[in-house]
Amino acid sequence: MSTLSRLFNPIVRFSPYIMMTLLLVPVLGGLIGVILPAFGWIPALNQTDFSLNGFSQLWQTPGIGHMALLSIGTSFISTLLAFSITILILASYFTSPWLGYIQRFLGPILVIPHAAAAIAIGFLITPSGMLSRLISPWLSGWNASPDWLYPHDAMGLSIILGLTLKELPFLLLMALGVLAQLDLGQTLRAQHKLALSLGYCPMTAFFKVVLPSLYPHLRLPIFAVLAYASASVEIPLILGPNDPSTLAVAIMQWFHDVDLSLRIKASAGAILQVQLTLLVLASWWLLERLVIQFAKPMLINGQREYGGAIIQKITHIITALILIIIGLALVGMLLWSFAGFWHFPDALPQQFVMLHWQTALQQMHTPLVDTVLIAICATALGITLTLLTLEAEQHSGKSLSLLGGLLIYLPLLIPSIAFLFGLVWLLELVNSQHTFINVVLAHLLFVLPYVFLSLASSYRRLDPRFSILAASLGATKAKIFFRIKLPMLIGPIFIACALGLAISFSQYLPTLLTGGGRINTITTEAVSLANGGSRRISAVYALMQMILPALGFLLAWFLPKMLVKRHQSGS
Amino acid sequence: MQTFTTRTNVSSTTTASVLIIDGLILRRQQQSLLSLSATIHGGEILTIMGPSGSGKSTLLNWLTGMLPADFSAEGQLHLNGQNITTTASHLRHIGLLYQDPLLFPHLSVAGNIGFAMPPGPKAQRQVVISESLIEVGLGGLEQRSPQSLSGGQQARVALLRVLLSQPKAILLDEPFSKLDSQLRQETRQLVFEQIRQHQLPVIMVTHDQTDADAAQGKIISL
Repeated sequence: MSTLSRLFNPIVRFSPYIMMTLLLVPVLGGLIGVILPAFGWIPALNQTDFSLNGFSQLWQTPGIGHMALLSIGTSFISTLLAFSITILILASYFTSPWLGYIQRFLGPILVIPHAAAAIAIGFLITPSGMLSRLISPWLSGWNASPDWLYPHDAMGLSIILGLTLKELPFLLLMALGVLAQLDLGQTLRAQHKLALSLGYCPMTAFFKVVLPSLYPHLRLPIFAVLAYASASVEIPLILGPNDPSTLAVAIMQWFHDVDLSLRIKASAGAILQVQLTLLVLASWWLLERLVIQFAKPMLINGQREYGGAIIQKITHIITALILIIIGLALVGMLLWSFAGFWHFPDALPQQFVMLHWQTALQQMHTPLVDTVLIAICATALGITLTLLTLEAEQHSGKSLSLLGGLLIYLPLLIPSIAFLFGLVWLLELVNSQHTFINVVLAHLLFVLPYVFLSLASSYRRLDPRFSILAASLGATKAKIFFRIKLPMLIGPIFIACALGLAISFSQYLPTLLTGGGRINTITTEAVSLANGGSRRISAVYALMQMILPALGFLLAWFLPKMLVKRHQSGS
Repeated sequence: MQTFTTRTNVSSTTTASVLIIDGLILRRQQQSLLSLSATIHGGEILTIMGPSGSGKSTLLNWLTGMLPADFSAEGQLHLNGQNITTTASHLRHIGLLYQDPLLFPHLSVAGNIGFAMPPGPKAQRQVVISESLIEVGLGGLEQRSPQSLSGGQQARVALLRVLLSQPKAILLDEPFSKLDSQLRQETRQLVFEQIRQHQLPVIMVTHDQTDADAAQGKIISL
């Protein structure tokens, strides 16, 4: 304990710097590694003259305007939909126990990887999917699968559906998290009650009293969703049109082209992508201003009822539809994974077989082991750095500056497609041959922010009197950390671990790029199987993607209880 | 279980406001919490006193129509001759004044009051707001944000907000307990004066004997 005690304080003091370095160097280095090639500087291709060739190539790409529009349109519309539905659900069930039930159902959806969700939705709306089977032939009259283009429709409607269903649980849980804050939540509920006593119908009371105070807390999550959606790869890759695709998907294909000179165009595209993302964020901000300007006089006009009952009925229908779509998508995928022969209009397969699971499990042995190992390494690193940084905060007596706090979330706010390629180039430059370590560090960029977000509030809220008391009994800071704080935070730490594992499991682009084809995970395999290959095998992979994080959360929920019980009965 | 009856004859006043609690029995699960019958005429203040856990807040929840699911109630509530026992909260016209002023932080002082007033021509509403602010000694503070006001000023804005919503009855929930003693007396006087002026039936829940004395009405101790 004594050596540890001596080392503990310096380690704690340096950990915030280590954490920032591990986050900032790859992101900023990656950005530079995209900016330089975009202007024509690629020493590897013997090109060291700065020029705008990449950009002119980019403009000449057929359908480039369409790609940009598709990226902007799908991300903006899906976020607007997800946000509107979130607000409608909150407004309609604000005082009802249903809010809790919906939360419990949608919570697990949050940890389903984007790729798996996209695969499930693709199965639902494909011509021979659950949707057309359920209405055939009695309603539609179809005896053969219909001739529609979903998924992969040119308008991107399938992308919008996929993104909306993935964003909705995130925004809803974020909003419920804000309402669960002790002071704010209680005040807002009391104010809502007061508005009712002033004769406001519950729906209007929510919009006029709760929403104006709630929205500022949702702005950052909304921006994160917009930024992610505008540059995401998995969902448009699986559900989107191919020619032209969204800009992010096109960039990825150019980078992977055997023609290395396309890298210049791809880098220019990455810069355009950042601008598109900024444009989407700015548009949202502008819309927000307009709505506030327009709605402000309405807040105090004394009008107490705007057809709340009808809006509530519409919300019931929307909520039910969403739950049915999610349920059908999941059931459909489960059926495919066991389906033998499955004739078209039938809602159920003629026979159920274990064959696909057996085949897939044999194939996925190596990727599965890699997936789990990478996730454990990235999460362990992320949790350790987070805990030490939070401890450093308490040692120095001041919390992270606003800038520091924002920097942690940088990897979530900058489109990953814009810096990951630069990062790969950087790794090639320093000749890093340790693919496994590269993948772990790339995953850490996305694991750390979420782990930090999940742990910070409980760590900061821990009653400081326990530490003061322990110190007065002669305990060192190291002893307080290991013997008082960590055991008291065992629950939140396990949840943060599960979250870290889930985030790592779901990473597609970072694995694909830094793994360089040498390391495959369940997620990269699932995506490559999704377009083409066997639908039945693909279903098994997508289900596996859901089972892994679910196992993590189950353990996180179960283990602390076990430990506490053993501790109580054993001592 | 305790039983209280302060029922008086209801025959004479039919037009004036009156709040009648008729044979109320409140239960948590199967256990009786309190039973109460009372008639409160306009301008009267019924004071309910009692330690925490005696069912004061449950009573208020029942009166406002927000009884939590694990409670049950028997009995009826009449306001000005109408049975509002099962009426939705927002249609009851029963105003609430809490110990916290709960002013809406996203609205100005005038906005908070305007929020409570019935709809109408904008200019006319602004005149009413300004006049009422002058009446309680807050003239000219229309555009201030509620957070910039002192505790006593906030309490007065909250009072105006509930009065200008034109309620038919008012519930006071420990309304003065957050104010210090000097301010407390002044605010109490102002609130009681205004309420009497508006001839509204009032139920006040408090644990402060001086509040109860100042109300000069019936007192029920739970």
